[in-house]
Order: sequence, then C-alpha cells, then structure tokens
Amino acid sequence: MNYTAVFLTLQVAAVATAINLPIAIGVSWLVVKRRVRGRFIIEVLASLPLALPPVVSGYFLLLVLGRDGPVGVALRNTLGVDVVFTWVAAALAAAVVSFPLLVRAVMAAMEAVDERLELSARSLGAGPIRVALTITLPLAYRGILAGLLLGFVRALSEFGATIVVAGNIPGRTQTLPLAIFESVQLGEDADALTLVVVSMSLAVISLLIHNWLLQRTRNSR
Amino acid sequence: MTDTFLEFNVRKQFPGFELNCQGAFGSGVTAIFGPSGTGKTTLLNCIAGMLSPDLGEIAAGGRTLFSSATGTVVPPERRRFGYVFQDAALFPHKTVEDNIGYGYALTPPEEREIDLDHLVDMLGLAPLMDRSVNNLSGGERQRVAVARALATSPRLLLLDEPLASLDARYTGAIITYLKRIARELEIPMVYVSHSLSEVMALAQDTLALQQGRTVAFGPTPTVLADPAIAAIADYSSLENILEAKVVETGDGRSTSLLKIGDAEFVAPATDRTPSETVVVSLGAGDVILSLDVPRRISARNIIRAKVREIHDVGDRVLVYVDIGRTLTVEITANARDDLGLREGSDVYMVIKTASIRMMT
Repeated sequence: MNYTAVFLTLQVAAVATAINLPIAIGVSWLVVKRRVRGRFIIEVLASLPLALPPVVSGYFLLLVLGRDGPVGVALRNTLGVDVVFTWVAAALAAAVVSFPLLVRAVMAAMEAVDERLELSARSLGAGPIRVALTITLPLAYRGILAGLLLGFVRALSEFGATIVVAGNIPGRTQTLPLAIFESVQLGEDADALTLVVVSMSLAVISLLIHNWLLQRTRNSR
Repeated sequence: MTDTFLEFNVRKQFPGFELNCQGAFGSGVTAIFGPSGTGKTTLLNCIAGMLSPDLGEIAAGGRTLFSSATGTVVPPERRRFGYVFQDAALFPHKTVEDNIGYGYALTPPEEREIDLDHLVDMLGLAPLMDRSVNNLSGGERQRVAVARALATSPRLLLLDEPLASLDARYTGAIITYLKRIARELEIPMVYVSHSLSEVMALAQDTLALQQGRTVAFGPTPTVLADPAIAAIADYSSLENILEAKVVETGDGRSTSLLKIGDAEFVAPATDRTPSETVVVSLGAGDVILSLDVPRRISARNIIRAKVREIHDVGDRVLVYVDIGRTLTVEITANARDDLGLREGSDVYMVIKTASIRMMT
C-alpha cells in the first residue's frame, strides 16, 4: 500500500484548503456584504477554474510559478527556491481548482445571514469588520464548514493541474490520483484497486460529514 | 414640540416610485404615517444611515449626517441612533443578556447615560436575561429589541412598525412601555406606522406620507383631522388607546370600574388590582354622543364631556372631546348638524361596557 501517496495527498489537500479559506471568506464578504464595484467580474474569475479543464489551470500556474514566470522569478530571487515540481506546487494546483467550490459555498452561507441582523449590529455601533466577525461569520459557519469539506474533497482528487505544474514524482508530488494513474498505466491492477478504495473512502467520509453539516444548517432555520 | 432635533430633505428613486420629502422633527415622539409601500421605511432607513438618499441632506442635533452636496455620509455605527425592526431582528446566536449588552459594550463609558439595570427593569426583562432569544414570545422579543437599542444611550430611537407583526394581546403592553420610555428617558423617537390608533396613542407630531411625498405634517390631532389624509387613513378602525387606573375590580361581578382622565368608566371585569394601570382600547366609532342624559338605557357609561374640536374628514366627522384627557369620537356629518355640535358644546358620551376592550 502506497502510504506515501496517501499522506502526501492529505497534506496537499489540507494546505490547499487552508490557503483558500481566508481568501474565500474575504472575497465572499466583499462580494456579498460589501457589494463592491466589479463584483460580477470577481465572481466570474473566482468560478473560472470550475469551468476550465484542470490542465488549463495547471498551465496558467506553470506560467506564473515557472522558471520565467513573475512569481517564480520573485521566489528564486528572495528565497532561492523553485516551487514547480514540488509539493507546494501540487498544493497550489489543488487550491486553484477547489477554490470555486469553497467560495461559492461561503457566498451562499453569507447570503443566508439575515441582512437585518447585520444592520442592527451597525446601528448599535459595530463597524463593518466587527459585524462580519461577530454576526455574519458565527451565523454562517456551518455553511462555510460544508464548503470547506467540499473544497477539501475536490483538492484530494486533483489530477490535471497537479501533473502539469508539479509533475508525477513519487514521494514528492505523486498524489493519490496520480499514483492510481501510474498503477493503471503500468498494469499494476492490485495496487491500483487498493488506492482506488482508499480514494473512495476519503471521498465518502468527507461527503457524509458535508451533508450532515448541511442538514444541521437547514434544521437550524 | 417647538424645538427641532432632526432635519431632513430626502430624494430617492426606485423603479416606479420616488421618495421626495422634507421634514423637521422635534424632541418628542414623531410618527411617520401612511399606507404600506409609501416610503415610510425607506425614509426611516435613510435617517438611520442604512440607505443613502440619491439627493438631499440629513442633520440631527446640528450635526450633518448626510449631504449629497458635500459628499458627507456618516455610517450607521457613528450616528448613535437606536433602531427597532418590525420583527425585532434579535441575534439568534446570543442570549437576551448578550443581545442587550452588544451595543452597550460598544458605547464609550462616558456616553452611557442610561443605566442598564434600570432599563432592564423598566421593560420587565430581568427574568428573561439568560434565555435564548429563540424561546421568547413576540411581545418579549420586541421588548428585548427596544432594550438592546436603548442600551447604547442613543440620541434618537427609530422604530419601524414595531407592533405590526405582534399578536394583539401584546400591543397594549408595548405601547405602555414605549410611552414610559419617551417620558422617563426623554429620548426623541421616530415611529413608523400604518395604524392611526397607534399614531394617535404615541406621537405628538405626525408626518403623513403618500407615494413618497409629504401629505401633511404637524401635531397629531391636527394631521389626523386634515382632509388631505382622508385618502390614506382608515378611520373606521380608529381606536382610542388609553391608560386607565383600576378603581374597582370584577370581584365575582362581571364589570370593573376604571378611571380615564377625570371620568370613571364601567368596563369588563379584569384580574388587575385597584390602583394598577391598564391599557384599554375604545373605538372612535363606538362612542355615541347625546345632548341629554339618556334614560332607561342599557349602556352603562354616560360620561359628560366638552367638545374641543370638530373636523370633517372625508365623509365622516371627527370630534375631539375632553374628559380631562382627549378622546376621539367619530360620528356622521348628519348627526353633527342635527345636534348642532360646535366647539365648547357640552355632550354626554354613551358607551357600552363591552366597547371598552382590555389590552393588557
């Protein structure tokens, strides 16, 4: 059993989700509660990876993080590292493709918070940030948690973007989906099957928790 | 009210409707009255800072809160206005105590003029403090909402139809609380309502709105009698909402004796004790006026009163009579002419016991 792939996958997915969470909350708040100008464009961009083939997202990441890309050059000059073909790139790839799922769930959760509760808080002296922290987020947290899980599940299963920007290096960037792909290519059916079972278990557990959370949200209305 | 606390000049365009009105409110209770959809809540929200007008100025206590000319916009959290929503809008994830304390904690100590314990006491909330707000009755929720808004020692209290979604049995109590707050805390209040009776019971001044425009403004009795508001006022359901002192209670009998103004009324039995204050409602159309004392009549109340004002409103006549406090009576123009009623006339009000409805 390829434990390395399993742990690497979990690590990559966890980091990807951790990166996405604050960004998703910030973007959602700006779009849903602050109603900033240009929110339509922001919404489209945030949902783009959902509509694009993952390899395309991976390609753009490669352009940005690669040897000659703006971030790649900056990182090499400041920290002396190359991010491509490391687990960090795999995490970024997973983050990009799972972001739309997370952000859409967070937006829905925030939208569901009664605006009059937030207006009441404003009339009581709370500024917009305080309202977000004491009213909006506490009331939206179940929906946000459900979104987190959805994003995590998606990050677990990322293949196309990962293989483009991180490669398929066992022990370094070979996540579960990549390992399954390789086993199938090499005809190692038994190994492939084991990994598939693990992959499915992770997915089913996550979805069970996700649906349970959504159920709790519905019941609390 | 002769002093001005709040001045505004507001224009806001919506699809199919434009709010365009001006006003200068004093430091007592001012009502914004009109039918649904006429812009009352929009105006209130502009005053509160929750909406921005397209054009205009809003100033309170000499301080500019909004000016389209200079681009000044003071956000709601800095206006120090309390706001009570129609259905309380209490924070569901906090207890009663935490709801009330939310604004209190955000108020600088030197500006906390209202004592929190006194407030909780005044609104009868002490036994409810630990409760989740999701287990309260409608009347309790509204009282918590009022306490929460007042805990910030606001300079102005805004209320958006606070009684509209309440069960009838709670309205009397809330009206009493609001009157007490206006009296004891001396906070200016702006009260949005589509109910003539509420407006009459609570507000010194009234601004009548129709389709976003001011139709009348001035002391409430004058505005109510203004023919211009005949189109938007439903006089048939006009009720006098009155505070009464219990003189005698049912005690096995089916009636009680209540003092309203200088007169004593026979009312339905109550379980309240003598010298307690209750709230009753008496329909303006339920009062019969007579020039002589009727004899051998079933009505138990024959009360002497003096006519103060008579107004034609639409096809009805409103008569303001004085019994130590003012009551509003509605009769037909025919009756007014037949009886030859005029200001200063002495009349007798004939009222059935059952017409006096207990609200608390």
